[in-house]
Amino acid sequence: MSGNECPREADILEAIAFGRWPDGCGDLSAHAASCEVCADLVEVAVALHDDRAALCREAQPPSSGMVWWRATIRARAEATRTATQPISVLQGIAGACVVGAAAGLVTIAWQSMHWMDRIGELAMRLESRRADIATASTFATGHGLPILVAVAAGLVLAPLALYITLADD
Amino acid sequence: MFTRDMTFTDVERLDRIAAEAVGTFVMDEDAFRAFYDRTARSVWSYLARITGDRTLADDLLQESYYRFLRAERRFDSESHRRNYLFRIATNIVRDHRRRPRMDQSRLADGHDAAEPIDPQSADAAAGAVRRLDLARSMARLKPRERDLLWLAYAQGSSHKEIAETLGLKTASVKLLLFRARQRLARFLREGVR
Repeated sequence: MSGNECPREADILEAIAFGRWPDGCGDLSAHAASCEVCADLVEVAVALHDDRAALCREAQPPSSGMVWWRATIRARAEATRTATQPISVLQGIAGACVVGAAAGLVTIAWQSMHWMDRIGELAMRLESRRADIATASTFATGHGLPILVAVAAGLVLAPLALYITLADD
Repeated sequence: MFTRDMTFTDVERLDRIAAEAVGTFVMDEDAFRAFYDRTARSVWSYLARITGDRTLADDLLQESYYRFLRAERRFDSESHRRNYLFRIATNIVRDHRRRPRMDQSRLADGHDAAEPIDPQSADAAAGAVRRLDLARSMARLKPRERDLLWLAYAQGSSHKEIAETLGLKTASVKLLLFRARQRLARFLREGVR
Protein backbone atom coordinates (compact mmCIF):
# COMPACT_ATOMS: atom_id res chain seq x y z
CA MET A 1 0.00 0.00 0.00
CA SER A 2 1.42 3.39 -0.99
CA GLY A 3 0.61 6.80 0.43
CA ASN A 4 -2.03 7.50 -2.19
CA GLU A 5 -4.04 4.31 -2.07
CA CYS A 6 -5.79 2.03 0.37
CA PRO A 7 -6.89 -1.58 -0.20
CA ARG A 8 -10.38 -0.80 1.11
CA GLU A 9 -11.13 1.87 -1.51
CA ALA A 10 -12.86 -0.62 -3.79
CA ASP A 11 -15.16 -1.81 -0.98
CA ILE A 12 -16.11 1.76 -0.09
CA LEU A 13 -16.74 2.67 -3.72
CA GLU A 14 -18.92 -0.38 -4.17
CA ALA A 15 -20.95 0.45 -1.05
CA ILE A 16 -21.50 4.01 -2.30
CA ALA A 17 -22.35 2.91 -5.84
CA PHE A 18 -24.96 0.42 -4.61
CA GLY A 19 -26.46 2.83 -2.07
CA ARG A 20 -25.31 0.91 0.98
CA TRP A 21 -23.24 3.76 2.39
CA PRO A 22 -23.10 4.56 5.30
CA ASP A 23 -25.86 2.32 6.71
CA GLY A 24 -24.74 -1.25 7.04
CA CYS A 25 -21.07 -0.33 6.64
CA GLY A 26 -20.05 -0.02 10.28
CA ASP A 27 -16.62 -1.55 9.80
CA LEU A 28 -15.94 0.42 6.62
CA SER A 29 -17.25 3.66 8.16
CA ALA A 30 -14.92 3.24 11.09
CA HIS A 31 -12.04 2.62 8.72
CA ALA A 32 -12.89 5.68 6.58
CA ALA A 33 -12.93 7.85 9.70
CA SER A 34 -9.36 6.87 10.46
CA CYS A 35 -7.91 6.61 6.93
CA GLU A 36 -7.08 9.87 5.18
CA VAL A 37 -7.23 8.35 1.70
CA CYS A 38 -10.62 6.77 2.29
CA ALA A 39 -11.96 9.89 4.01
CA ASP A 40 -11.24 11.89 0.84
CA LEU A 41 -12.72 9.13 -1.25
CA VAL A 42 -15.95 9.12 0.76
CA GLU A 43 -16.22 12.90 0.69
CA VAL A 44 -15.85 13.06 -3.08
CA ALA A 45 -17.56 9.86 -4.18
CA VAL A 46 -20.70 10.42 -2.09
CA ALA A 47 -21.04 14.00 -3.33
CA LEU A 48 -20.59 13.02 -6.98
CA HIS A 49 -22.75 9.92 -6.74
CA ASP A 50 -25.64 11.87 -5.18
CA ASP A 51 -25.19 14.73 -7.61
CA ARG A 52 -25.32 12.41 -10.59
CA ALA A 53 -28.46 10.75 -9.29
CA ALA A 54 -30.12 14.14 -8.81
CA LEU A 55 -29.00 15.41 -12.23
CA CYS A 56 -30.29 12.26 -13.91
CA ARG A 57 -33.65 12.79 -12.23
CA GLU A 58 -33.79 16.41 -13.29
CA ALA A 59 -32.47 15.83 -16.81
CA GLN A 60 -34.94 16.51 -19.56
CA PRO A 61 -33.07 15.51 -22.68
CA PRO A 62 -34.93 15.79 -25.98
CA SER A 63 -36.65 12.64 -27.17
CA SER A 64 -34.63 10.09 -29.11
CA GLY A 65 -36.90 10.65 -32.12
CA MET A 66 -36.18 14.36 -32.09
CA VAL A 67 -32.42 13.83 -31.85
CA TRP A 68 -32.52 11.30 -34.68
CA TRP A 69 -34.60 13.59 -36.85
CA ARG A 70 -32.28 16.56 -36.29
CA ALA A 71 -29.28 14.37 -37.05
CA THR A 72 -30.77 13.17 -40.34
CA ILE A 73 -31.65 16.73 -41.37
CA ARG A 74 -28.14 17.90 -40.61
CA ALA A 75 -26.49 14.93 -42.34
CA ARG A 76 -28.57 15.55 -45.46
CA ALA A 77 -27.74 19.26 -45.45
CA GLU A 78 -24.03 18.55 -45.04
CA ALA A 79 -24.07 15.94 -47.80
CA THR A 80 -25.88 18.29 -50.16
CA ARG A 81 -23.47 21.11 -49.39
CA THR A 82 -20.48 18.85 -49.96
CA ALA A 83 -21.93 17.60 -53.25
CA THR A 84 -22.66 21.07 -54.64
CA GLN A 85 -19.37 22.59 -53.52
CA PRO A 86 -17.23 21.22 -56.43
CA ILE A 87 -19.82 22.40 -58.96
CA SER A 88 -19.74 25.92 -57.52
CA VAL A 89 -15.94 25.92 -57.61
CA LEU A 90 -15.94 24.75 -61.25
CA GLN A 91 -18.48 27.41 -62.15
CA GLY A 92 -16.24 30.03 -60.58
CA ILE A 93 -13.21 28.78 -62.47
CA ALA A 94 -15.18 28.70 -65.73
CA GLY A 95 -16.38 32.27 -65.15
CA ALA A 96 -12.84 33.46 -64.49
CA CYS A 97 -11.63 31.71 -67.67
CA VAL A 98 -14.36 33.37 -69.73
CA VAL A 99 -13.49 36.81 -68.36
CA GLY A 100 -9.77 36.21 -68.99
CA ALA A 101 -10.37 34.94 -72.51
CA ALA A 102 -12.63 37.89 -73.31
CA ALA A 103 -10.02 40.35 -72.01
CA GLY A 104 -7.35 38.63 -74.12
CA LEU A 105 -9.49 38.75 -77.23
CA VAL A 106 -10.25 42.44 -76.75
CA THR A 107 -6.52 43.14 -76.46
CA ILE A 108 -5.79 41.15 -79.59
CA ALA A 109 -8.59 42.94 -81.42
CA TRP A 110 -7.23 46.33 -80.35
CA GLN A 111 -3.74 45.44 -81.55
CA SER A 112 -5.17 44.09 -84.80
CA MET A 113 -6.84 47.44 -85.40
CA HIS A 114 -3.42 49.15 -85.38
CA TRP A 115 -2.13 46.58 -87.84
CA MET A 116 -5.15 47.16 -90.03
CA ASP A 117 -4.47 50.92 -90.03
CA ARG A 118 -0.87 50.32 -91.10
CA ILE A 119 -1.94 47.93 -93.81
CA GLY A 120 -4.47 50.52 -94.95
CA GLU A 121 -1.81 53.22 -95.10
CA LEU A 122 0.45 50.96 -97.11
CA ALA A 123 -2.37 50.12 -99.43
CA MET A 124 -3.15 53.81 -99.94
CA ARG A 125 0.45 54.38 -101.03
CA LEU A 126 0.20 51.56 -103.50
CA GLU A 127 -3.26 52.63 -104.58
CA SER A 128 -2.28 53.56 -108.11
CA ARG A 129 -0.72 50.20 -108.81
CA ARG A 130 -2.80 47.84 -106.70
CA ALA A 131 -6.28 49.20 -106.35
CA ASP A 132 -7.71 45.79 -105.37
CA ILE A 133 -5.38 45.51 -102.31
CA ALA A 134 -6.42 48.98 -101.15
CA THR A 135 -10.06 48.04 -101.45
CA ALA A 136 -9.55 44.90 -99.41
CA SER A 137 -7.60 46.79 -96.76
CA THR A 138 -10.25 49.47 -96.44
CA PHE A 139 -12.88 46.78 -96.01
CA ALA A 140 -10.82 45.13 -93.28
CA THR A 141 -10.30 48.44 -91.46
CA GLY A 142 -13.99 49.21 -91.52
CA HIS A 143 -15.26 45.76 -90.52
CA GLY A 144 -12.35 44.25 -88.56
CA LEU A 145 -13.69 44.91 -85.06
CA PRO A 146 -17.15 43.45 -85.61
CA ILE A 147 -15.59 40.35 -87.12
CA LEU A 148 -13.24 39.91 -84.19
CA VAL A 149 -16.05 40.46 -81.68
CA ALA A 150 -18.12 37.83 -83.46
CA VAL A 151 -15.23 35.35 -83.32
CA ALA A 152 -14.64 36.11 -79.63
CA ALA A 153 -18.31 35.68 -78.80
CA GLY A 154 -18.27 32.35 -80.57
CA LEU A 155 -15.26 31.23 -78.57
CA VAL A 156 -16.92 32.22 -75.29
CA LEU A 157 -20.38 30.92 -76.05
CA ALA A 158 -19.36 27.59 -77.54
CA PRO A 159 -17.87 26.16 -74.27
CA LEU A 160 -20.83 27.49 -72.29
CA ALA A 161 -23.27 25.84 -74.67
CA LEU A 162 -21.27 22.63 -74.40
CA TYR A 163 -21.30 22.81 -70.58
CA ILE A 164 -25.04 23.41 -70.41
CA THR A 165 -25.66 20.52 -72.78
CA LEU A 166 -23.50 18.15 -70.77
CA ALA A 167 -24.95 19.34 -67.45
CA ASP A 168 -28.44 18.48 -68.65
CA ASP A 169 -27.30 15.03 -69.61
CA MET B 1 -25.15 26.07 -57.49
CA PHE B 2 -28.41 27.86 -56.84
CA THR B 3 -31.62 25.90 -56.53
CA ARG B 4 -33.12 27.74 -59.49
CA ASP B 5 -30.23 26.56 -61.65
CA MET B 6 -30.77 22.90 -60.79
CA THR B 7 -32.20 20.47 -63.25
CA PHE B 8 -34.40 17.56 -62.22
CA THR B 9 -31.37 15.34 -62.57
CA ASP B 10 -29.44 17.51 -60.11
CA VAL B 11 -32.27 17.41 -57.60
CA GLU B 12 -32.56 13.65 -57.89
CA ARG B 13 -28.81 13.25 -57.53
CA LEU B 14 -28.64 15.48 -54.45
CA ASP B 15 -31.62 13.72 -52.95
CA ARG B 16 -29.85 10.41 -53.43
CA ILE B 17 -26.65 11.78 -51.87
CA ALA B 18 -28.63 13.12 -48.90
CA ALA B 19 -30.34 9.78 -48.38
CA GLU B 20 -26.97 8.02 -48.53
CA ALA B 21 -25.63 10.37 -45.85
CA VAL B 22 -28.15 9.01 -43.36
CA GLY B 23 -27.12 5.50 -44.43
CA THR B 24 -23.59 6.22 -43.19
CA PHE B 25 -24.72 6.52 -39.56
CA VAL B 26 -23.19 3.95 -37.23
CA MET B 27 -26.59 2.51 -36.37
CA ASP B 28 -30.13 2.48 -37.64
CA GLU B 29 -32.95 4.46 -36.07
CA ASP B 30 -34.27 1.73 -33.79
CA ALA B 31 -30.84 0.85 -32.44
CA PHE B 32 -30.04 4.52 -31.97
CA ARG B 33 -33.21 5.28 -30.10
CA ALA B 34 -32.63 2.40 -27.72
CA PHE B 35 -29.01 3.42 -27.17
CA TYR B 36 -30.01 7.05 -26.67
CA ASP B 37 -32.66 6.16 -24.12
CA ARG B 38 -30.07 4.18 -22.17
CA THR B 39 -27.39 6.86 -22.21
CA ALA B 40 -28.85 10.35 -22.70
CA ARG B 41 -29.41 11.17 -19.04
CA SER B 42 -25.88 10.09 -18.08
CA VAL B 43 -24.33 12.08 -20.89
CA TRP B 44 -26.45 15.12 -20.14
CA SER B 45 -25.52 14.95 -16.44
CA TYR B 46 -21.85 14.71 -17.36
CA LEU B 47 -22.10 17.68 -19.72
CA ALA B 48 -24.14 19.73 -17.25
CA ARG B 49 -21.67 19.18 -14.43
CA ILE B 50 -18.39 19.65 -16.33
CA THR B 51 -19.65 22.76 -18.12
CA GLY B 52 -21.74 24.06 -15.22
CA ASP B 53 -24.41 25.13 -17.68
CA ARG B 54 -27.59 23.15 -18.30
CA THR B 55 -28.59 25.04 -21.41
CA LEU B 56 -25.19 24.46 -22.91
CA ALA B 57 -25.47 20.80 -21.94
CA ASP B 58 -28.64 20.56 -24.04
CA ASP B 59 -26.82 21.87 -27.10
CA LEU B 60 -23.72 19.77 -26.58
CA LEU B 61 -25.84 16.66 -26.05
CA GLN B 62 -27.29 16.95 -29.55
CA GLU B 63 -23.83 17.59 -30.99
CA SER B 64 -22.36 14.61 -29.14
CA TYR B 65 -24.92 12.19 -30.53
CA TYR B 66 -24.60 13.62 -34.02
CA ARG B 67 -20.85 13.13 -34.04
CA PHE B 68 -21.34 9.67 -32.60
CA LEU B 69 -23.72 8.77 -35.41
CA ARG B 70 -21.23 10.03 -38.02
CA ALA B 71 -18.30 8.18 -36.43
CA GLU B 72 -16.66 5.90 -38.93
CA ARG B 73 -15.86 3.01 -36.63
CA ARG B 74 -17.11 -0.29 -35.35
CA PHE B 75 -17.85 -0.97 -31.71
CA ASP B 76 -17.03 -4.23 -30.00
CA SER B 77 -19.49 -3.82 -27.16
CA GLU B 78 -21.99 -1.57 -25.46
CA SER B 79 -19.27 -0.44 -23.09
CA HIS B 80 -16.99 0.48 -25.99
CA ARG B 81 -19.82 2.41 -27.64
CA ARG B 82 -20.65 4.23 -24.42
CA ASN B 83 -17.01 5.13 -23.73
CA TYR B 84 -16.67 6.49 -27.23
CA LEU B 85 -19.76 8.64 -26.72
CA PHE B 86 -18.27 10.09 -23.53
CA ARG B 87 -15.03 10.68 -25.37
CA ILE B 88 -16.88 12.67 -28.02
CA ALA B 89 -18.71 14.64 -25.33
CA THR B 90 -15.41 15.40 -23.59
CA ASN B 91 -13.83 16.61 -26.82
CA ILE B 92 -16.81 18.78 -27.64
CA VAL B 93 -16.58 20.44 -24.24
CA ARG B 94 -12.84 20.96 -24.75
CA ASP B 95 -13.48 22.56 -28.13
CA HIS B 96 -16.10 24.74 -26.58
CA ARG B 97 -13.74 25.84 -23.80
CA ARG B 98 -11.21 26.97 -26.40
CA ARG B 99 -13.73 29.29 -27.99
CA PRO B 100 -13.26 32.84 -26.73
CA ARG B 101 -16.97 33.54 -26.68
CA MET B 102 -17.64 31.01 -23.94
CA ASP B 103 -19.19 32.57 -20.89
CA GLN B 104 -16.91 31.19 -18.19
CA SER B 105 -18.56 33.17 -15.43
CA ARG B 106 -21.42 30.70 -15.06
CA LEU B 107 -19.01 27.86 -14.53
CA ALA B 108 -16.85 29.79 -12.09
CA ASP B 109 -19.80 30.85 -9.98
CA GLY B 110 -21.42 27.46 -10.04
CA HIS B 111 -24.71 28.97 -11.16
CA ASP B 112 -27.20 26.67 -12.69
CA ALA B 113 -25.79 23.95 -10.53
CA ALA B 114 -28.76 22.89 -8.52
CA GLU B 115 -32.46 23.24 -8.46
CA PRO B 116 -33.88 26.15 -6.44
CA ILE B 117 -34.08 25.34 -2.75
CA ASP B 118 -37.50 24.23 -1.66
CA PRO B 119 -38.06 25.87 1.76
CA GLN B 120 -40.76 23.30 2.54
CA SER B 121 -38.30 20.51 2.76
CA ALA B 122 -35.29 20.61 5.05
CA ASP B 123 -33.77 17.57 3.38
CA ALA B 124 -34.20 19.05 -0.04
CA ALA B 125 -32.67 22.31 1.14
CA ALA B 126 -29.68 20.53 2.65
CA GLY B 127 -29.27 18.49 -0.51
CA ALA B 128 -29.41 21.58 -2.68
CA VAL B 129 -26.79 23.31 -0.54
CA ARG B 130 -24.51 20.26 -0.80
CA ARG B 131 -24.90 20.27 -4.57
CA LEU B 132 -24.20 23.97 -4.77
CA ASP B 133 -21.04 23.40 -2.74
CA LEU B 134 -20.08 20.61 -5.11
CA ALA B 135 -20.72 22.77 -8.17
CA ARG B 136 -18.60 25.58 -6.79
CA SER B 137 -15.85 23.21 -5.75
CA MET B 138 -15.87 21.53 -9.15
CA ALA B 139 -15.62 24.94 -10.79
CA ARG B 140 -12.37 25.52 -8.89
CA LEU B 141 -10.81 22.40 -10.40
CA LYS B 142 -9.02 22.15 -13.70
CA PRO B 143 -11.22 20.91 -16.55
CA ARG B 144 -9.36 17.61 -16.74
CA GLU B 145 -9.76 17.06 -13.01
CA ARG B 146 -13.50 17.56 -13.33
CA ASP B 147 -13.64 15.05 -16.18
CA LEU B 148 -11.59 12.50 -14.27
CA LEU B 149 -13.58 12.75 -11.05
CA TRP B 150 -16.95 12.61 -12.72
CA LEU B 151 -16.07 9.61 -14.85
CA ALA B 152 -14.54 7.76 -11.92
CA TYR B 153 -17.00 8.46 -9.11
CA ALA B 154 -20.25 9.52 -10.76
CA GLN B 155 -20.05 7.40 -13.88
CA GLY B 156 -18.20 4.49 -12.28
CA SER B 157 -15.74 4.10 -15.13
CA SER B 158 -12.61 2.00 -14.69
CA HIS B 159 -9.15 3.54 -15.04
CA LYS B 160 -8.81 1.94 -18.46
CA GLU B 161 -12.13 3.40 -19.61
CA ILE B 162 -11.20 6.83 -18.24
CA ALA B 163 -7.88 6.67 -20.06
CA GLU B 164 -9.66 5.86 -23.33
CA THR B 165 -12.23 8.57 -22.84
CA LEU B 166 -9.79 11.31 -21.92
CA GLY B 167 -6.90 10.21 -24.12
CA LEU B 168 -4.56 9.53 -21.18
CA LYS B 169 -2.28 6.65 -20.32
CA THR B 170 -3.94 4.16 -17.99
CA ALA B 171 -0.95 4.30 -15.67
CA SER B 172 -1.33 8.07 -15.25
CA VAL B 173 -5.01 7.95 -14.36
CA LYS B 174 -4.50 6.63 -10.85
CA LEU B 175 -2.16 9.42 -9.77
CA LEU B 176 -4.10 12.18 -11.53
CA LEU B 177 -7.28 10.91 -9.98
CA PHE B 178 -5.74 10.78 -6.52
CA ARG B 179 -4.57 14.40 -6.77
CA ALA B 180 -7.88 15.62 -8.16
CA ARG B 181 -9.74 13.79 -5.40
CA GLN B 182 -7.56 15.35 -2.74
CA ARG B 183 -8.22 18.84 -4.11
CA LEU B 184 -11.96 18.35 -4.42
CA ALA B 185 -12.23 16.86 -0.92
CA ARG B 186 -10.36 19.88 0.46
CA PHE B 187 -12.60 22.33 -1.41
CA LEU B 188 -15.72 20.52 -0.22
CA ARG B 189 -14.58 20.64 3.40
CA GLU B 190 -13.73 24.32 3.05
CA GLY B 191 -17.19 24.90 1.60
CA VAL B 192 -18.87 23.12 4.48
CA ARG B 193 -17.06 25.18 7.09
